[in-house]
Amino acid sequence: MSTSADTCFHCALPVPTNCKITVEIEGNSQPVCCPGCKAVAELIRDSGLSGYYAMREAPAPGVGRPLDETSEWQVFDRDDMLLAFTEADAESAEATIYVGGMYCAACSWLIETTLTKSQGVEKAEVSPVTHRLRVRWRPAETRFSEILGALSSLGYQPQPLAPENTARPELLEQRTALKRLLVASLGMMQVMMFAVGLYAGDFQGIDPEMRRFLRIVSLVVTTPVVLYAARPFFAAAWRGVISKKPGMDLPVSIAVGSAYVASIYATFSNGAAVWFDSVTMFVFFLTLGRFLEMRARHRSIDRSTALSSVLPNTATRIDGDDRSVVPVSQLLPGDTVLIRAGDAIPADGVIESGETAVDEALLSGEATPRHKTVGDPVAAGSVNLDGLITMRILRTGSDTTLGTISRLSERARYTRPTFVTLADQIASYIVIALLVVAAVVAISWYLIAPERAFVITLSVLVVTCPCALALATPAAFAAAGSRLSQLRLLVTNGNAIEALSRATTVMFDKTGTLTLGQPRIASVMVFNNAMTEYDCRRIAAALETASAHPLARAFSLDAILPEVSSQAVEIGQGVSGVVDGRNWRVGSAAFVGGGAADVSTQGDATATNVFLGVDGEAVAWFALEDELRPDVDRTLQELSRLGLRIALVSGDNHDAVRELAARLGIAEFHSNCTPQQKLSIIEAAQRNNERVVMVGDGINDAPVLSGADTSVATAEGALLAQTSADVIMLGESLSPLTTLFRMSTRTMRIVRQNLTWAIVYNALALPLAAAGLVPPWLAAIGMSASSLIVVLNALRLSRFRVPE
Amino acid sequence: MSVLYVLIPLGLLLLAGAVWAFFWAVGSGQFDDLDTPAVRIIMDDDTKPDDGAP
Repeated sequence: MSTSADTCFHCALPVPTNCKITVEIEGNSQPVCCPGCKAVAELIRDSGLSGYYAMREAPAPGVGRPLDETSEWQVFDRDDMLLAFTEADAESAEATIYVGGMYCAACSWLIETTLTKSQGVEKAEVSPVTHRLRVRWRPAETRFSEILGALSSLGYQPQPLAPENTARPELLEQRTALKRLLVASLGMMQVMMFAVGLYAGDFQGIDPEMRRFLRIVSLVVTTPVVLYAARPFFAAAWRGVISKKPGMDLPVSIAVGSAYVASIYATFSNGAAVWFDSVTMFVFFLTLGRFLEMRARHRSIDRSTALSSVLPNTATRIDGDDRSVVPVSQLLPGDTVLIRAGDAIPADGVIESGETAVDEALLSGEATPRHKTVGDPVAAGSVNLDGLITMRILRTGSDTTLGTISRLSERARYTRPTFVTLADQIASYIVIALLVVAAVVAISWYLIAPERAFVITLSVLVVTCPCALALATPAAFAAAGSRLSQLRLLVTNGNAIEALSRATTVMFDKTGTLTLGQPRIASVMVFNNAMTEYDCRRIAAALETASAHPLARAFSLDAILPEVSSQAVEIGQGVSGVVDGRNWRVGSAAFVGGGAADVSTQGDATATNVFLGVDGEAVAWFALEDELRPDVDRTLQELSRLGLRIALVSGDNHDAVRELAARLGIAEFHSNCTPQQKLSIIEAAQRNNERVVMVGDGINDAPVLSGADTSVATAEGALLAQTSADVIMLGESLSPLTTLFRMSTRTMRIVRQNLTWAIVYNALALPLAAAGLVPPWLAAIGMSASSLIVVLNALRLSRFRVPE
Repeated sequence: MSVLYVLIPLGLLLLAGAVWAFFWAVGSGQFDDLDTPAVRIIMDDDTKPDDGAP
């Protein structure tokens, strides 16, 4: 409990020598380091909670923050910021603030108490679950910055959220769906209870007055279920009728609507039977199925919004000696910003000064922090863990890696797999066929036994509802997509999963795919005596600035590079350009020419060889080495165990490719391939009825990727934006590839199970119902159980685990 | 049995109350996050962070 004289009683930080602030706790005068700690300590004492200091296990999280940061919040008083982060009316303004550093319910109590006591604040509500503070204040009496400053001085890290971040459309959809589900479920339970009374009455006899009463009560409860909970079905059915594409909602709506109306009629005309119980049960199970399907859909959205909510709202921009806090939306490429330890990085860029460890888990799934120093790239959304750095911004907003990942996951959401579209079309025909069947049944029974015609037609409509059929595929794809994104696989093309499940062959590129694509120059040999090794490296570095090829990165040099004009990139071959009036080329032996092919047999033949030539004469030879990705061996073994044929196609020289293939046990390999040759290898395999999955880095082999049946890219960083691959693997390891194949096979297996189940069920249920053997309530249970089975079966995919 | 004529409407009132309470709870955001509460119990977030200590 007691702290030494020179540390703060509250937060245990050293007390500045010129600071004479103290606080009275339990009769003792205790030193504190800043007014913030004093305020917190007094608040705790005045609330009778001094015992906290006796019981706590560690000092409170650092309340005392550097003084220059208290002025940081004034930027939020500017009109544009207020417009962006608050919703104001004539007298008061409201904002949602994410409160960083909250650990428990006591924190939310502390924040609420502090804020509601302060001048001008009308309401402050903190949700300890979401760490969000909803605060309402009178701008005439206090300012936004004072509220933020108050939070900051309590030791929390407030982060105002823009209104669109707080009211996400899928959140509203979920709320409405929950309400409908509840109305349907409570309604069903109540009506069931009354139905038990009514059925018992049928057997034991019931007072007609009581029967009428129970029916009226059932009607009262069923009405909100039909009019509120079942409204989406009626709306969708109506849309289907207007667009002449009737969906499964049409028979549902006819069944629910007609049973409801007929029951009302029976209630008031003292008819033989009412079907309120069947109606509510039917609506409840349908709503439950829709709810589960919606949740599967939302999980995939959650990830992309999680991605965009990690960016900070403000950044400290440095203009010469000036430091100003600006909203992140105002940052431009070329700006320099200061990033403190613990802050999220606001944009993509390179470090200009300082060094630190950066947590990139969000982008690559890589849990170990990476050490970064001057000149290293940092990505928006990653967290600066321990050092103070300044960075120059290269890309902002949606151009960043983070923005691209979000955009790619969006793309997958909006492309409907052809498989699903097909199922929808078929469902539409099935619905029409069912309506015809129902009409035939109705007419037949009207001729045989008119009093049973309505009940039997109702059962037919309910029992044959093709809900299970319509849910079978989309539910499985949604569940698979969200699980894959958790496993660091971004599916950007809705058709990819189906195509992958039928793949027979996997072709790998070498550089940047099987290897990390971070090559370094292992040795240099200069043939021209007039030049030094350094000269060659400088010229090569200057030329390679034009290339995005992974090998080009090996040449980057921290030096002043000579000027290059008319740079041209020959994909898969090399770069040419003019330096000091001479034509230089850097690239493969064939590209550089001039005897390069002869010397390539010398030295370390297994390395990747890059040549530098001038005016058709080879002058230098660089041997590049590249590290293999982690888990390559195991991944390839598992892929071949899955029955896939593995081939290596590389633009690299024969020896390097052969050595790698031998090391990894790949039987088939092609070396020295141009992109055109790679493409023709794929096409030859396709003519052989093989379905080829091409795995590449996504940039240099873009034409090759597009030629394959499915493409998987290992791209990262800035290159992500340019890739058009169907699936993108995040992170260094190659092992998600195995997961991808297993998952797609499993997904299609579940789709097939679902479709089989739905068809078998309908084929069995229809004749039974048409024969009058299925009462409406049983029909409702049967149909609902069949859709629930389909959805639950699909949701098994979201628990897919990678077998160890 | 005539007591049912009173009890059932009372039950319905209770039901209406429950629905109202649930609508309010949904509207105030208590059901916005349906996933994390399930795993919250296994997260060690009740331990104090060490970075507050000098």
